[in-house]
Amino acid sequence: MAIIRTEGLSKVFRTGFTMKKVEAVKGVDLKVDAGEIYGFIGPNGAGKTSTIKMLTGLILPTAGEAWIQDIPVSDPKCRAHLGFLPEGTFFHEYLTGREFLDFHGQLLGIDKATRQKRAGELLERVGIPHAGDMRIRSYSKGMRQRVGLAQALIADPEVVILDEPMSGLDPLGRKDVRDLILSLRDEGKTVFFSSHILGDAEVICDQVAIIVNGNIVHQGYIDDLLGQEVSGVELVLEGIDAPLFEELKVGATRAITQGPRFLLEFEDEASAQRVLERTLEAKGHVRSLVPRRRSLEDLFVEEAKKGNYA
Amino acid sequence: MRALRNIKAVAMNTYREAVREKLLYTLLMFAGLMIASSIVLVKIHLGYDERIYYDVGLAAIALFGSLIAIFVGINLVYREINSKTIYTMLAKPMRRWEFLIGKYLGLVGLLALEIVLMSALFLAVVWFQKGTFPAELLYAIVLIFVELVLLTAIAIFFSSFTTPYLAGMFTVSLWIIGHLLADIREFGNLPDSEAIRPLTEALYWGLPNLDRLDIKGLAADGIPITLKDLWMNIAYGLSYASLLLFSATQLFRVRDFR
Ligand SMILES: Nc1ncnc2c1ncn2[C@@H]1O[C@H](COP(=O)(O)OP(=O)(O)OP(=O)(O)O)[C@@H](O)[C@H]1O
Ligand SMILES: [Mg+2]
Repeated sequence: MAIIRTEGLSKVFRTGFTMKKVEAVKGVDLKVDAGEIYGFIGPNGAGKTSTIKMLTGLILPTAGEAWIQDIPVSDPKCRAHLGFLPEGTFFHEYLTGREFLDFHGQLLGIDKATRQKRAGELLERVGIPHAGDMRIRSYSKGMRQRVGLAQALIADPEVVILDEPMSGLDPLGRKDVRDLILSLRDEGKTVFFSSHILGDAEVICDQVAIIVNGNIVHQGYIDDLLGQEVSGVELVLEGIDAPLFEELKVGATRAITQGPRFLLEFEDEASAQRVLERTLEAKGHVRSLVPRRRSLEDLFVEEAKKGNYA
Repeated sequence: MRALRNIKAVAMNTYREAVREKLLYTLLMFAGLMIASSIVLVKIHLGYDERIYYDVGLAAIALFGSLIAIFVGINLVYREINSKTIYTMLAKPMRRWEFLIGKYLGLVGLLALEIVLMSALFLAVVWFQKGTFPAELLYAIVLIFVELVLLTAIAIFFSSFTTPYLAGMFTVSLWIIGHLLADIREFGNLPDSEAIRPLTEALYWGLPNLDRLDIKGLAADGIPITLKDLWMNIAYGLSYASLLLFSATQLFRVRDFR
């Protein structure tokens, strides 16, 4: 079942004195299945936030329709089981983290005892249990992002929409957020998040949609998009001598010597196989062997070359 | 049920903001100072004259309340949009009108508190001087509150579709004109003003007539005010405010938050 669905969703902004048209979103069709992590990926200005704002009822579509759990987004009822993390900063600075969570819980009709219990649990879960009684004004960027995430989860929602959940976080923070998203899927929730960082999506998403210039240019399972085909193999070897290395590097697309270590890259698996066998025969060590698949990054670059970026 | 719950949550949060951002205390301190100083000034310059005494006290309450209603009112919704705090609030099972009414009632509650405290101070001073106070003073204070309820609605109405700056200009204009409507009408009724009479009549009947809610002069003069008149004027103020709020929610419903 599609939890989030859009048909021909479009947004035209009119800006400035001349009311110049900006077509931010151009007929987007999305289908997000229940229980999946869905990445909404695109460069800056692609229309991610505009699409998400239409899904959450903050701006009205110029054309097209959208549903959450089969309820049109124009009906506030569709937001009863929705958690939302907006982009950037959006806090009542004068509230403490706990009060902030409590207030949003009230708007979702959660009773007081449950609100308090969940606020405590969530502060723990997002890693800021100590900050619950501090004013948000005094939070760091990372703490804000975390309390924002807790806010999105206060009602134990079935659908979670996150706009750039990892932006502004250090590597550890990004990992925490990735783990959080994965644990949400484990609980059977559907997570829809936007990002312009491909790595984030590649690691955790089931499906992705790539939006460029207001258009969806790719949509589907990561594996289908990238293909299973291996585009190359990278080997790092140790304990072999220079003559052997000279022999092995024939046909390699890359061959580098780093002190005792040798790095070789091949386009085909057969060559890699041959090098592997020869190294083991010579009592050398294989430090690593990494098959290289096409990455989302490559896909992005291809789209850019096709002129999909304006 | 759900609507009430949401309105209450938003109103309470508005109140909490005023308390936390020290707005409330600042206001109360100023209000107290204003009443105290106006009374002291009158006393020094004019001795104890009941009429002027009442006039100045009521005027201080009304003026101060009006300034809060207008200048807090025009920023009320804008602040939530500008700081993006409205995003997570509206992404809830809450209708936009519930949010708007919640903000409105939060400020009205604040104004009520303000009026109660200022009036208590004023009436206490009168009581201290006279040993009693006329009921008309209370009536006048009730109508001042109704005026603030209406002014806040005007401010919210304008700020539901324009910037605080423009909303402020419009609201202040209506505040001033609203107190001059009786004069404007009289002007239109002069024999020479035949040509503009339709305009003055339209203004008189169309714009919010704040004069109707202003019985400060009467109260100070001790002219009796019938309860029927009082109720009529309260009903007028509240109906006009409801109309404005209804229009504001309609305008707010189709607005983009970006
Ligand atoms: N309020 C607005 N008025 C006019 N144009 C807008 C408005 N908001 C967005 N746009 C335009 O719409 C396009 C899409 O913007 P949007 O914020 O949806 O992009 P995004 O994918 O979220 O980008 P980012 O990664 O930078 O957050 C941009 O060209 C932007 O300039
Ligand atoms: Mg964005």
